[in-house]
Amino acid sequence: MIGVAVRRLLGAVPVLLIVSLISFGLMRMIPGDPAAAIAGLAATPAQIAQLREDLGLNQPVLVQLLRYYEGLAQGDLGRSILLGKGVFAATMERLPVTIGLSLYALAITLVIGVGSGIVAALRQNSWVDQAAMMVAMIGISVPNFFLGLLMIILFAVHLGWLPSGGYVPFGQDPMGWLRSMTMPAISLALLQAGLLARITRSTMLEVLRQDYVRTARAKGLPRRQVILKHALANALIPIATVVGIIVSLLLSGAVVTEALFSIPGMGQLLTQSVLSRDYPMVQGGLLLVTAFLVLINIGVDLLYAALDPRVRFG
Amino acid sequence: MKRKLFASFVMAALPIAPLAAAPFQCPSIGGDLVFGQEANVNSLDQMTSSTISTRNIAMNIFESLMTRDENNRPILELAEAMEEAGDRLSYTFRLRRNVVFHNGKPLTSADVAASFERYKRVGLQRSTLDNVAGWETPDPHIFVIRMARPQPTFIEALSSFSVPIVIVPAELREDPPQQLRSIGTGPFRLLEFVPGSHARLGRYEGYQPNTGFEQRTGFGGYRQACLNTVTFRIVTEASARVAGLETGELQAVEDVPTRALEALRRNGAITLLPLQNWWIQIALPNTSTPPTDNLAFRRAVQAALGMEDIMDAATDGNYRLNVGFQYPHQATYTDAGKETYNINNPQRARALLREAGYRGEQITILTNRDYPAMYNAALVMQQQMQAVGINAQLRVVDWPTSVQMSQRLNSNEWHFYHSGWGTQPALGALATMQFLVSPNAAYRPRDNNDDPDVMAAWNDMNTLPTEQERNAAFARMQRLVLERVYAIPFGALTKVQAVRANVQGFVPFRIPRFSNVWIQR
Repeated sequence: MIGVAVRRLLGAVPVLLIVSLISFGLMRMIPGDPAAAIAGLAATPAQIAQLREDLGLNQPVLVQLLRYYEGLAQGDLGRSILLGKGVFAATMERLPVTIGLSLYALAITLVIGVGSGIVAALRQNSWVDQAAMMVAMIGISVPNFFLGLLMIILFAVHLGWLPSGGYVPFGQDPMGWLRSMTMPAISLALLQAGLLARITRSTMLEVLRQDYVRTARAKGLPRRQVILKHALANALIPIATVVGIIVSLLLSGAVVTEALFSIPGMGQLLTQSVLSRDYPMVQGGLLLVTAFLVLINIGVDLLYAALDPRVRFG
Repeated sequence: MKRKLFASFVMAALPIAPLAAAPFQCPSIGGDLVFGQEANVNSLDQMTSSTISTRNIAMNIFESLMTRDENNRPILELAEAMEEAGDRLSYTFRLRRNVVFHNGKPLTSADVAASFERYKRVGLQRSTLDNVAGWETPDPHIFVIRMARPQPTFIEALSSFSVPIVIVPAELREDPPQQLRSIGTGPFRLLEFVPGSHARLGRYEGYQPNTGFEQRTGFGGYRQACLNTVTFRIVTEASARVAGLETGELQAVEDVPTRALEALRRNGAITLLPLQNWWIQIALPNTSTPPTDNLAFRRAVQAALGMEDIMDAATDGNYRLNVGFQYPHQATYTDAGKETYNINNPQRARALLREAGYRGEQITILTNRDYPAMYNAALVMQQQMQAVGINAQLRVVDWPTSVQMSQRLNSNEWHFYHSGWGTQPALGALATMQFLVSPNAAYRPRDNNDDPDVMAAWNDMNTLPTEQERNAAFARMQRLVLERVYAIPFGALTKVQAVRANVQGFVPFRIPRFSNVWIQR
């Protein structure tokens, strides 16, 4: 198990290097510069040029690249041009917000997706199966932005149950956090829940047709034990792989949700940084998010190994 | 002849500021107001940012020696008197007594000098101080600016709120660009700032109102913080801002979308506040490349355009037709060159195209989607140009890219560039017309060689001794710019703000002002 973890961690190093190089290159390839964004609509060209000079944006690209890697080698991700603070500090302020939102959405995804998938598989071709798959299809089809807007109109404007937007830190007020994150998490989760429900259903159906499940039933084991211990335990192996991908999708999907619900998360920060050409923030932020996703995937691999002895001992 | 300016004198001259029997007093004190702000704000460093989103918040925290009143005239703010020497080579400011910074330190001329030092080093509009030879602090309450040469428009520049020289404690002198600590003398002090999320301001108990006035006016006047806190929450999605206003989570919002206006009008709990003349929608030609280097061609485009359709699409109906670069309520307004505006004459346009020898070359209209008004205006402009036989195509990029492309010297990547001029027209003719001369000339003359007639008019605007003469020079410059089609202003855009009905005293201005605003119990 430790060997798997070490191998995967070592394999992540080139991934991070490639991501850092790509993000650096892409940011320099797109036109536009941070000075225009910082200076604003009212700035004159002379003021923008002056600001560019002040911020050191006139240096040759190669010099900027060398300085970037020099900083990385020393563990320094640079300083956000727009925020005027360290990239690492800025990311650490925002990433937990997005992780919190994504975990909440993941919990909803798992409960709805796995639950409805199992029920649909066990009641294959019944009205329960049809209804569950229809709801899953709606979840997949409706854009989360539109869903979020509908939820704001219903639950905030008409019913007044939940706030229309804003963010309350968990440490400050856990109930406030729950209230402010419920609609964003649901709107973010439904797409993934729909996908997961369909995958769970088909995986469960496949497993339920396996010989060992038939044998377990023939041995007279209780239905609950057959489903949970023999069928679900084996169905979880492909589902665990999908969950790793879902976490990545939830993190990237948070960009739109955060904007709609005014949540100061990593998605908003990166979007704003790209639009404003905040080079250090985009480069460093992407690197940290990538590192986080790599860790998630290593975690999923380890979970996979724990669930499947063939992986552990193979 | 010396010019003296006293706060009370300026007050008496203001038609907008009623001569009330007593200074403003908050009808009720307390309450928390949440304002839904449309644009993100990354820094509150008012010396290094000209963005509206920064100003929205920072102008409630910081104050300057001088600012502008409700009619955009210069008034004193942290100074109680200003004397301009007869030769215009010095300006002596006497500071108001008992003004205390948010950190508890009394304001002295040393703080003013330190603030000017920082501004000269990192201020975005440090060209304001180009003609300043230096400054002196002969007394803790006297600040003297020495000029290297007379600049008749110096007070106009000094009182500008575009990137104001806000006064901060001397110890903030070395704060790097974009990182000025938010310690000012304004009616509100910063409690918390989370970039991308919100900024929370609290009433500053030690605030000393400017007793030279009796009411708030423009960015200055007699100001009082009636609210306990004001939170500026960043809500970029228009629908979310409207929903927040309807639920009461937000008590005030900016930029209400047109599609929501009808429903909000029917809501008795909400007051809509249109802010006319928010910006001038405009297109600038690139005169360094053919065929837009040809005056006849530019005139053909000018003749083809119908401003009602363009402005209607750009603003969803929230606009006013407007000739030139100032608004009718401003003292400097002129309709010089009005015959060039809103011609909408396809026959004339076609005749001018023939005269220009136009042979169907592709004309690129550079615009962006970050500002929908600019994109929509460009779209209708394209259709109107196509209707007279011009092969007009849109090039849509994002805002920073369009700015960068528009500023490339001798570029042939675009022919018309869409923008919006907001703060500058509000500041006056001088601030606006700087966009039409090098190094800022938005029409991008080849090798930055300005039209000499335009330059001459610009120099007169800056150097002629009397205001009347300078205004006449502005009218001359506007006429030249419009007749030679160095800019095509479409009209004035109206921005709609809204508050909950129990929010009183909120009057739309260039930024949301929260002094003298209270919540009706």
